[in-house]
Order: sequence, then C-alpha cells, then structure tokens
Amino acid sequence: MLMVRAIIRPEKKEEVLSELSRAGFHAATVVDVVGRGKQKGIKIGGIVYDEIPKAMLMIAIRDEDKDDMVRIILKYARTSEQGAYGDGKIFISPLEAAYTISSGIPSL
Amino acid sequence: MKEIIAVVRMNKTSATKKALVEAGVAGFTAFKVEGRGKIVTNPSLILERKKELLLMAGEDQTGEAEKLITDFLVGTSLFPRRLFVILANDGDVEKIVDAIIQANKTCNNVGDGKIFVLPISDAIRVRTGETGEAAV
Repeated sequence: MLMVRAIIRPEKKEEVLSELSRAGFHAATVVDVVGRGKQKGIKIGGIVYDEIPKAMLMIAIRDEDKDDMVRIILKYARTSEQGAYGDGKIFISPLEAAYTISSGIPSL
Repeated sequence: MKEIIAVVRMNKTSATKKALVEAGVAGFTAFKVEGRGKIVTNPSLILERKKELLLMAGEDQTGEAEKLITDFLVGTSLFPRRLFVILANDGDVEKIVDAIIQANKTCNNVGDGKIFVLPISDAIRVRTGETGEAAV
C-alpha cells in the first residue's frame, strides 16, 4: 500500500476530488495548508508572499493504483496543458498498514 | 520507528487523547481535516442510523430531510474529522492501534475513521539533537 500526499491549488480541489471519485478513488482526507516551493513564493511589487495557501489531499491506495492516481491528479490539478508554477507536488510514501476502525479489519 | 496517522470523529478527540495516555503515549500532533471514505453500497448498514436521524428531523413532507440524511450517511461529501499523528517505536504500534480502535468504535457501522501506519526513517529531538528511537 502507498500513501499519496498531493499538494494542489485550493481552487482545483473540487475538480480533482470529483474526478478521483469517478475513477473509483472516493476516499480522501483534505487538509488546508500553506507553503512555498522552489520559486521561493511569489513576488508582487516589492512584497514577497511565501506562505501560499494550498490544499493537501491524503489518499491511501494499493500499489497497483499508483499510476492511475498520479495520472488523474496531474491531469486535473494543472492550470493549463503544459502546467504552471504553483500547480503543486505529489509525494508518495510506503504505507505499512491501514485499519478501518468500525470493523477493526487491517485493510484499506 | 513508525508514524501512526489516525483520522477520527471530531467528538472522539478527547476519548482518543485519553486512550493514548492510557496506552503510554502522551505526545501527538492533531489538526482539523476534511475527509470522505468509501461510498456505502449496502443500505442495510446505515438503516438503523437513518431511522434515528429521521426521528430527529421531525415532520418531513417533501422528502428533503430524508435525501439529506441519506447523502450524509452514504458519504458522498466531505466531513470534518480530526487527524492525529503519533510517532511510535516499532514495538508499541500494535498497542497504540488497538487503543485508538477501542476508543473510537461506535455502533454506527460506518464512519468511525481509519488508521494508517507508515515507516519513518529518522526522528530528531530539536532540544538535545538526539536521533532515532531516543527522540520518539
């Protein structure tokens, strides 16, 4: 199993979530976060904004669903065909166990 | 070392905190998140809870309340939830997971949350610079 953490533009959250749901990945946890990336934030006039609001999606998936998941997020979180600075990042880490509390069953 | 991520009901926050202390871990990080789980495909799972909520809704001629309650229980939209992050040594993981499950179980069949266990490669205590298991 894998834990996918995708940091995307907040305005793209709804679209990405509904497309994921359509593809069969309904479950997700959404966190409002702030952060900056490689571009060191945005400079507008003389002011630097380096705490840019983003939405972080946390999704637990099976190993074989990784490519589908990444493809969907890349497609729908981009602001244009070739993408733009600030569209976000996807991090994938190993997930050793997942328990459903209501049943206590150790599976996704 | 392991990172335990638990997504639980908002009103189970204090129960979870208490269960963690009883399990021997006082340290955790928690924050508000929104989440959704699997869509409920088996209507019998939510039948009881639906009846309960419909009683609370009172008179309902339009069927609007029933639709609202069904959508809520089936889980198509995002709900507020509390997310706990707990660092633990390998040997304690099972005990902590059991404690969280015991504290958060309800008789609603669905919606009690999830627990994830992820490996962590290192941890460092800022105050002393200790690394590894000693820093947990």
